[in-house]
Amino acid sequence: MAELTAFRYHPGASILHRVDPRFKLGCLIIASMGALNGDAAALGLWSIASAALFAEMRMPLMTVARELRYFALLILLVVLARTLTAAGEPLIRFWGVALTRQGLIEGALAGWRLGLVVMLGLLFMAATRTWQVKSAVESLLKPVPFIPHKRIAAMMGLLLRFIPLILSTARDTADAQRARGIENRRNPVFRLIKLAVPLLRKTFLDADRLATAMDARCYTESRSTQPLFARGGDWAFLGAVCGLSFLALSLPCF
Amino acid sequence: MNPSPIHDSSEQLRMTVYASLMAAFIAAGAYIAVPIGPVPVVLQNMFVLLAGLLLGWRWAAAAVGVYLLAGICGLPVFAGGTGGVGRLVGPTGGYLIGYLPAAAVVGWMSERRDNNRVLDVLGLIAGTMVVYLCGVFWLKMATGMSIGKSLALGMYPFLPGDGLKIIAAAAIAGAVRPMIRKPGKVAHSHGYS
Amino acid sequence: MAILEVDGLSHRFSDGAVGIEDIQLTVREGGFTVLAGPNGSGKSTFLRHLNGLLTPTSGDVRVQGVSVREDPRRARQLVGMVFQDADSQIVGETVYDDVAFGPENLMLDRQEIHQRVMGALVALGMSDMAGQRTHLLSGGEKRRLAIAGILAMGSEVIVLDEPFSNLDYPGVRQVLAAILDLHARGRTILLTTHDLEKAIAHADRLLLMEKGRIVADGPPDAVLSKTEPLGVRRPCAVRWGRPVESWLS
Repeated sequence: MAELTAFRYHPGASILHRVDPRFKLGCLIIASMGALNGDAAALGLWSIASAALFAEMRMPLMTVARELRYFALLILLVVLARTLTAAGEPLIRFWGVALTRQGLIEGALAGWRLGLVVMLGLLFMAATRTWQVKSAVESLLKPVPFIPHKRIAAMMGLLLRFIPLILSTARDTADAQRARGIENRRNPVFRLIKLAVPLLRKTFLDADRLATAMDARCYTESRSTQPLFARGGDWAFLGAVCGLSFLALSLPCF
Repeated sequence: MNPSPIHDSSEQLRMTVYASLMAAFIAAGAYIAVPIGPVPVVLQNMFVLLAGLLLGWRWAAAAVGVYLLAGICGLPVFAGGTGGVGRLVGPTGGYLIGYLPAAAVVGWMSERRDNNRVLDVLGLIAGTMVVYLCGVFWLKMATGMSIGKSLALGMYPFLPGDGLKIIAAAAIAGAVRPMIRKPGKVAHSHGYS
Repeated sequence: MAILEVDGLSHRFSDGAVGIEDIQLTVREGGFTVLAGPNGSGKSTFLRHLNGLLTPTSGDVRVQGVSVREDPRRARQLVGMVFQDADSQIVGETVYDDVAFGPENLMLDRQEIHQRVMGALVALGMSDMAGQRTHLLSGGEKRRLAIAGILAMGSEVIVLDEPFSNLDYPGVRQVLAAILDLHARGRTILLTTHDLEKAIAHADRLLLMEKGRIVADGPPDAVLSKTEPLGVRRPCAVRWGRPVESWLS
């Protein structure tokens, strides 16, 4: 799985690493919402805060930039679309399209917002282990009625477990078919079917075996799980994030 | 040779594992991508449709729901090895949201009859339309483009590929279904809720 | 004392095919039994009755005197099962998480879980791998991990289905050493194989299965001569009239 997610957990003992995952998840959502609805001042505030956390985590800036490149195209599209569609006084005209002052500002803001939300997600992923995410989801869904929180957490763990299996099986299947000259067939539907059918059959068989092995190890949904304990520091962190979002809301627009 | 069906082990556990597997396929499908335009052409949506065909509407919706939730919680399951709310609220987030009703629609249609190719294909077409309904509307809202532009950018270029994926999905489901032991009527009543 | 008692056990699949037929067997505590037979002879089907993964069409299995049918959960705890495909039975993301899966299912408290996990990892010589990602392990390590996973549940009987398949020579030796170590600590071992060479030197009993029935049962020396008509290759040494050597020596 290492090759498909360059950006994942970075072992460490930073402030963010030590925060209870439930609080981290809550803060991630608060901060993302804050960033999505914020103006320039609010965005600046959130950007400084996340940059500080990245620095405290001793994450090399190049790594962060490399991860963001996946989003470059997406962010660029938003910037362009906003820039070219906003109404206002035109600065320059070319090919019948007017470039407006408002458009430029709006485009830059939209790009900044999206970039910031992505950065926040990266921060969270870098400082949180998978099992912590699972436990956090389980614990947060617990009070919601009619939602089988333990099953959902278990499914999230299984989901991550199956991804590398699927990719390696797909690779093996494709290699075996290339060895028998599948490239000579031009029809993409034929090739897709010939790849997907053995891939699904093999992985469903594996899933079946896994279910049996889980059963053999006494699987129940009421099993005990890793407990999470909130400490004073976690509340302080949540408080800081809430404080920051109030500050961001109350800042004067300009 | 392995002993065939271990039919006494828990049906619910097996469906939970199957749904997790389809959620993993949806995530893995995002990595097999041909980038054309803002939305990479990926096999992801085909696996969403297949989840409906193979698991029925409840477990298909559960598979997509768990996939989305994993992404929201920052697990790296969205395209490009990322996760987080950012992806979901971004301009292409509507397609991801649309997967949820789409899988349910396909699953519901295919459950009307056992292994009926016509119903499967109708369900697949309906499911695909549901994805675009959510996706294009969201794209329009997020970017402020006109509806015509949104369609031209966010739907038309992908339709030929989707047609091929629908044909493939129907054929694949026909070949894979016999080996997937779906729960009987009794198991359905205490399904995912 | 008999730890496993199998009484007239038969299983017929839903399509009418016979899985196993009228199996009569007792396994004494602390024994090392090898169950051999060609593919499709019903070995795996038989094993899955020992912890209630399959329910018999007729007959019964008792673990320490209690029927599996009455208390499958207890049977699953006491009879730990290591499946043939090591990859598809790993549940946890890390070695520690995977071994903790069983004890967590038994709803033990956290401290007890930790003790059991570390105890099992020490027993399998894997205590320094606790934090390692499971999909990066070698074949032999995965199989040992599977054994640790059932050991942490407190299993008394350890059932292994083809434990040496798909392993390289060091992998076979690792797994064999682990099995012998557990046997020396008093665990009852029951393993299936179609390749007698690797384990028979250590077994005190050999069972042969064919078409769902047990057709030979006794000390390895006595049974080995009957294997080949049943599609199980006799170890080389036996052909030359010499005693079978351990793979560990």
